[in-house]
Amino acid sequence: MTTGGFGMASGPVPLSVVGDLLAPFERLVGDVVSLDPVLVQLLVFGVLLGAIYALIALGLTIIFGVMDVVNFAHGAFVMVAMYVVWYASGTLGVNPFLVIPLAVVFLFVLGVVVHVLTIEPILEAPERNQFIVTFGVLLVIESLVSIIFSPDPRALDLSLGVLAMAGVRIPVGQLLALVAAIGAIGLLWALLYRTDVGRAIRGTAEFRDGARYVGINVFRIDYITFGLGSALAGLAGSVLVLYHNFYPSLGHNYIITAFVIVVLGGLGSLRGAFAGAMIIGLVEVFGGFYFPGSTYKVLIFLVFIAFLLLKPEGLFGGADHGA
Amino acid sequence: MAPEALQSARDRYEQYKRHRFSGLVSGLVVFGILAALPISLNYQFFGLTLAGFLTVKILIVTLIWAYAAQAWNIMSGFTGQFSFGHAAFFGLGAYATQFLLVGFGVNPWIGMLVGGVVASCYAAIIGALSFRYDVSGHYFALLTLAFAELMRNVVLNVGQLNGPHGFFRPFPEEYASGYGLAAFQFQSDLPYYYLILAFLALVSALAYGIKKSAIGTYFVAIREDEETAASMGIPVSRYKMLGVLVSAFFTAWAGTFWSMYYSTINPESVFNVLRNVEILLPAIIGGPGSILGPIVGSFLVIPLGEWARASFTQIYEMHLLIFGLALILIVMYSPRGVVSWPRRLQEVLGLVGTETQEEDSSSATQEGD
Repeated sequence: MTTGGFGMASGPVPLSVVGDLLAPFERLVGDVVSLDPVLVQLLVFGVLLGAIYALIALGLTIIFGVMDVVNFAHGAFVMVAMYVVWYASGTLGVNPFLVIPLAVVFLFVLGVVVHVLTIEPILEAPERNQFIVTFGVLLVIESLVSIIFSPDPRALDLSLGVLAMAGVRIPVGQLLALVAAIGAIGLLWALLYRTDVGRAIRGTAEFRDGARYVGINVFRIDYITFGLGSALAGLAGSVLVLYHNFYPSLGHNYIITAFVIVVLGGLGSLRGAFAGAMIIGLVEVFGGFYFPGSTYKVLIFLVFIAFLLLKPEGLFGGADHGA
Repeated sequence: MAPEALQSARDRYEQYKRHRFSGLVSGLVVFGILAALPISLNYQFFGLTLAGFLTVKILIVTLIWAYAAQAWNIMSGFTGQFSFGHAAFFGLGAYATQFLLVGFGVNPWIGMLVGGVVASCYAAIIGALSFRYDVSGHYFALLTLAFAELMRNVVLNVGQLNGPHGFFRPFPEEYASGYGLAAFQFQSDLPYYYLILAFLALVSALAYGIKKSAIGTYFVAIREDEETAASMGIPVSRYKMLGVLVSAFFTAWAGTFWSMYYSTINPESVFNVLRNVEILLPAIIGGPGSILGPIVGSFLVIPLGEWARASFTQIYEMHLLIFGLALILIVMYSPRGVVSWPRRLQEVLGLVGTETQEEDSSSATQEGD
């Protein structure tokens, strides 16, 4: 963070509850009024974080769009990709950047295997069964990784350095993650809207039975979609590992954030997942800076609950359910 | 196919099952066995002792989760409202008790009742909002999870509740006249075992009573088909709310017991995401919607998990592997739980036709919501 001041917040903070709640906003308004450069810095960090969230949430939301499955194991996929990059670059002794494609392919395969073994047989079962089974998969993957690699936190220690531009500091690792995220989202868009498989995926998301009538192999679309979603989680994990430490239970931190994002954007909506990811990324960065402790998370969950109750179709749901 | 003797035995069993007091007798048998269990740990059976596999500590943990799962069962097994957020009620029970005990020296038994009421109030908010806005399916499960995570983050940030540090359970001399039932603290494990066994007996009897009464019939009707139940004149929201309130009230007691048995609580230990799973795990394994299910399920997985945790000290995630595999296999291949296995065995052997759903069929198996 820069050493930019806190604006008018440096005075004594009032001890009333209302004061406690308002103080962060007062500081924010003060910073906006005084055009404090810290705002730009926070904006940059928010977008960088949002890009990673977007990758994770896109994978989750396309699986939901096509199969109506809320996939808890998705968080574990992010974590597995981090271990793949770390382990492969360590044993092969190559640059971690070169093993990113390997991790993405590995996660695609893992996704297909998990789907065929555990999800496909119970696709027609009640929703709560899928909920429990995907959580079971999360537990199994996390504990296996923990058993194989120990539960200790690890890091790649790349120290890629920091770019400084006009007083704004951008860590290179996070910048690369942003570039990868933008590239992947572009590729995903091209796949969904410019290829036959993409058309079939969108069609299946729109109307499963209809897709069967026109001769789409829905089983094949299901596992391709699941693999694709996992591969996106894999890409998120393998760029996250460039600057973030990792441990086996990392998955369930990310999965709950990802649920918040996809519900905010509308379960099944790609645009919504992207917008939701940016919103949550910005809220986390600004909230973490201005609010004491992790109070901003209370705010996030209140918004999450409000959306579940009042607008379960999310910001962008309904109009383009599926893709 | 079956020989005469077997046939007549089965007839007699059917007769017994129809008898008015059969539930009471079965309950007495089950709880009689449970009560005798810790005493018989050291007896030799064929040169083996149970103590090799079980300790009183493991039995206590097993019963805590059996009890919590039974409470979860009243809401999610009977009325079919799948809760993935019971950690909220569990944690509220633990926190209400310790907050009152540490801060004001209030006896934990009173704290337990307060915790139950607080958890029920929180449940009333969840229930009122979700039934008012007609939240169901994925969204209901996510909503309950969101409320549990909300509570975790609130408690983490409230200074009066010591934020992330939580509470240390005080010594009994500080608020009562030493160890004993009145202080909710004992010097050995055995009294804890009988206390949680009494809790389990209470909530099981209550669940049985609900199930056999008109309320239970309404609950099952709501679980099977909410719209039809409503069209038959059952006040659906009111009965769903009743299930939620009762379930939350008793889940909070599990939190109280947990906080009095272990010496510390903090937001990560009582509101953890995994707590939600531990609470519903025994019911799912044993058979959601059945009274025996949570108890059987708990005895199948919890001792195994504890044993794994104790045996592989370097690999302390082993129990999660077991829990995860158990959840996947049961829900995929036997969603009615372990209690349905005797019946399934009979079906496989061709002793009975594969007709009719059993009365104890689980919420997790029903097609369509």
